[in-house]
Amino acid sequence: MMEEVEIVELLKKNIPDGLLSVATPRVRKVSAEIAPATIRKAAETLLGKGARLIIIAAVDAGLDVDLLYHFDLEGKVVVLKVKLGKENPEIDTVADLTPTAEWAENEAAELCGVRFKDHPKPGHLVLSDKLPEGTFPLGKPFKSKLPDEICPVAEAVITVGATAPISSLMERRRVEAGLPPQPPASYSSEPQLKEVHELIRQTNFSKQAGYDWERKKLRGMKK
Amino acid sequence: MKKYALFLGCMIPQRLPSAELAMRKVFNSLGLRIAEMTGYTCCPDPILARLMDRRVALSMSARNLSIAEGQGLDVVVLCNGCYETLWEANEFMKRGETSKEINELLAKVGRRYDGTINVRHVVEVLHEDVGIEAIKNQVKKPLGLKLAVHPGCHLFREENGGDIWRKPKQFEELVSATGAEVVRSDIDQLCCGFPTSHVDEEFSLKHNLLPKLERYQHIGVDGIVVVCPACNVQFESGQLALRRYGAKFSIPCLHLVELLALAFGVPAKKLSLEFHRSPVSQLAARIE
Repeated sequence: MMEEVEIVELLKKNIPDGLLSVATPRVRKVSAEIAPATIRKAAETLLGKGARLIIIAAVDAGLDVDLLYHFDLEGKVVVLKVKLGKENPEIDTVADLTPTAEWAENEAAELCGVRFKDHPKPGHLVLSDKLPEGTFPLGKPFKSKLPDEICPVAEAVITVGATAPISSLMERRRVEAGLPPQPPASYSSEPQLKEVHELIRQTNFSKQAGYDWERKKLRGMKK
Repeated sequence: MKKYALFLGCMIPQRLPSAELAMRKVFNSLGLRIAEMTGYTCCPDPILARLMDRRVALSMSARNLSIAEGQGLDVVVLCNGCYETLWEANEFMKRGETSKEINELLAKVGRRYDGTINVRHVVEVLHEDVGIEAIKNQVKKPLGLKLAVHPGCHLFREENGGDIWRKPKQFEELVSATGAEVVRSDIDQLCCGFPTSHVDEEFSLKHNLLPKLERYQHIGVDGIVVVCPACNVQFESGQLALRRYGAKFSIPCLHLVELLALAFGVPAKKLSLEFHRSPVSQLAARIE
């Protein structure tokens, strides 16, 4: 009989890079978050130990769809959480590994818009086939938890550490007025701005707000 | 000679550099020295910060304060919003629990804030550290103007149990020290509408700005004096925006430090008053 800690070790060993977090919140339960690309490896690992897939729950969290794969392994519930960005909510099917996933994936697809790559039998499960394409009854608007009105300012504060960067026109006008083109703010110095970015990362705010550090944009912000 | 760490914030460098220029000239005339706060960020904005996240708001404020603390100087601000944010953050940081939590975050970027400095509004610095008489002594061109003073909401921020009218009264006395007549109206305390403009511009224009402008026009003021760039922007851009609704106003609005600079005899052309979107240059021409 596998103990909770042994299940944790099993996940750590088999998906070392894909295991984002893992915890045992109570007896007979293991909760883990894994990278989407590792869902098949994780499912194979658990199924290989005799687990059965109970259900896949899909939850639209605004910026992402959370898929919660519930497995039963020797009387213990193992929940694998996968966050799929709604820019491209696609993930490999596990329906070929366990038939229980077939209907569950169809349900997540039609209610929340998740695309399951190589699903053996795509199609509607509970909704009418006449439903217009792209209609997902449990889908929510693609936006963060921040109020719409403050998103542009929040984006600017994260990106440049100010409510707005100084435009090149204003820089010229400042120079004409006898001032330096920029004040000594964080956006005028790369090392200072880097420090501000690190501080914001440490507060976890950028994650809550859905900030994309590569694109330097808030995800799901209304234009 | 007193010295302060200058916190310019976001709006003054971006929208109202004339106030930055004027402040430097006024401080110089009064023998006050300033140190630049290299690497400062948005305070952050008091309304938005409360809607964002307490930890990110407080840690950004505390980081700003740590820059001044490193210089061993009190902070001086020219903006009501920056004042409230930094003042409140300073109060929080003087309490053990919050300080510990925020300093743990700051430590991750190599900083620490011990709460050893004060946050001062420019109104306090000019009134308390310089004094009305010293200000009057610098006035070269007494202003024979009739001026409305708009204190702005956050200037009323005071310690619990403190006199919320302390700084607004100081502000009025500073304007009077220029020789101008301060005219009062019964809606001086009404918000200019800048914060609500983020959410509903029409509401902020019609329910905040319009009644104030109508009252000032009825009284016949020569201009409006503020101590906050956000209020200044609202009074100026708002007058232009109100034209969409058939309301035409042309009332100059300027920052206290600009008014003082003009009264101290600084030529208008050296203040770059063209940054304003209300007829401040014309008002200055009348003074000269």
